[in-house]
Amino acid sequence: MQLLRGLFLLVYGLLATLPLCWMALSSLKSRDDTISPYARFVPSLVQEAARSVGAPLGSAAAVSTFTPTVAAYGALSSVHAGAQGSFWSYLRSSVLIGVLSTAASVLLGTCCAYGFSRYRIPGAKDWLFFVLSTRFMPPLAVVVPVLMMYRELSLTGTALGLILLYTVFNLSLAVWLMKGFLDEIPRAYEEAAEVDGYSRLHAFVHIILPQARTGMAVTAVFCLISAWNEYGFAMTLNSSANTTVPAYFAGLQGNIDGMPWPQIAAGGLLFVTPIVLFTVLVRKHLLRGMTFGTIKQ
Amino acid sequence: MSGRRLQWWFVGPALALLVLFNVFPLLFNVVLSFTNAELVGAEREFVGGANYARVFSDPRFAEAIRRTAAFVALAVSIELALGFTLALSIRREFRGKALLLTALLVPMMLSPAVIGLFWNLILNGNYGILNQILGALGLPEPQWLTDRDWKFTSVLLIDVWMWTPFMMLISLAGLNSIPATLYEAAQVDRASAWTVFRRITLPLCAPLLGLAVLLRATDALKQFDLVMATTGPNDKSTETLSTLLYQVVFRDGKLALGSAYACLVLVLVIAVATAFTRYLEGLNRRPA
Repeated sequence: MQLLRGLFLLVYGLLATLPLCWMALSSLKSRDDTISPYARFVPSLVQEAARSVGAPLGSAAAVSTFTPTVAAYGALSSVHAGAQGSFWSYLRSSVLIGVLSTAASVLLGTCCAYGFSRYRIPGAKDWLFFVLSTRFMPPLAVVVPVLMMYRELSLTGTALGLILLYTVFNLSLAVWLMKGFLDEIPRAYEEAAEVDGYSRLHAFVHIILPQARTGMAVTAVFCLISAWNEYGFAMTLNSSANTTVPAYFAGLQGNIDGMPWPQIAAGGLLFVTPIVLFTVLVRKHLLRGMTFGTIKQ
Repeated sequence: MSGRRLQWWFVGPALALLVLFNVFPLLFNVVLSFTNAELVGAEREFVGGANYARVFSDPRFAEAIRRTAAFVALAVSIELALGFTLALSIRREFRGKALLLTALLVPMMLSPAVIGLFWNLILNGNYGILNQILGALGLPEPQWLTDRDWKFTSVLLIDVWMWTPFMMLISLAGLNSIPATLYEAAQVDRASAWTVFRRITLPLCAPLLGLAVLLRATDALKQFDLVMATTGPNDKSTETLSTLLYQVVFRDGKLALGSAYACLVLVLVIAVATAFTRYLEGLNRRPA
């Protein structure tokens, strides 16, 4: 039983991590090596090293080697057919849109959550559930009116349009997560401040916000990741180079010269690395973040 | 400033934005669905229920609903079963548990659009690594992305890879919330492993598993990114509600028809969302 359990974990662990490892390996290959019908998974450097210590090499090892190259990373600067700019220009948009929308979401969300946490707002429960339910909307079902609205305001094709949209999209997450965090800060803090003659607003800015730092950081990471990964709005509202990386990758599909696999792997790897780092950073809060703060642990 | 005024300054801006970007599009969708608006050109006039008549006479819509429902049901149940089994396996403390757990959780944080595109390389029928592994094991090597009978399975497979960790995460929370004293009492009573599982583990995890299922189901209902990244829109064997909407609005340019579809999809989504919030309310009322 114990053995079976270990084996199951091992096999699943391999299945879970191999696609990303394969991505890393593929990013170091030439295009021919990525589409070889005999998988090439040993960089020739390893083979050289093995030969130098005199390890015997079978014929299989010779077939499965490839010469590592960083050419794919260099090719990210060139503009592919179907794209409006290089990978880097899209990445710049992703960072800009992600960071600004996250800052706005966390700011607005924290204020809103504070209101719900500390005041008796009429219909508070209904409002909170309305906030949550906005998260369930499929982007494609609301994109038409948003598109019309953006055309009126000349926001289509701009980074600002996506920043605004992602701010709103992430508000539900920010409000629910921050409410959970703020509820955990004792009211005694503000009460003490008010006794000392400070205003409520002063107490919020100078006492509560510093206390809620961790919560805000965690909320920011989750907002950033969902803005970073969003695809539906990014590709439909914006066909210019002001859009985010997922839309860039979509543009490479159906490429006439065949898919540039090494570049896709290299770009994909660069794109997901920050997410992996952030996941490690907030690993203790993953449960909370993924369930809108409804499960706290 | 009085407390009453101040409270609205706190909650007002966020709520106003949410109403503007959610309630307004909803109403506008309804208005548009009764017109003949197109993606290109600003002219539109009232056409009554013509769009709805088209939607209901179109077998494609019913087909997309059926396929999306099948996708949600299959994805959620496979992920739940696999995730719960994983949680049971990883439950006990061992060396390297934290590291393994983090590694297992990574896929659910990644961008489905980007990772989905890379899966095309893994699943390629001729040179994909998956078929090479299957071939080496002497198993059949399906044409994952081009064979009509396998495309849907491919999307499902990637979704399961991405979201099983989510089910595992919530299952673990459920398992960890079970007090050890219950297991000790069961041991004193010499209950069998199966009885312990059926009478203690499963019922005590159930509320959280329910939450996980609802969260995942509302998300799977929106399935768009993975389909777009693997088979693209307008593929009969993988068309979901979201890709159908994309096809109608952005490829065919039928804005108003898309709005009619969207209104019906939104009714569906609101029904599921209501079920979800009711469940959550019930969960919150439960004494901890």
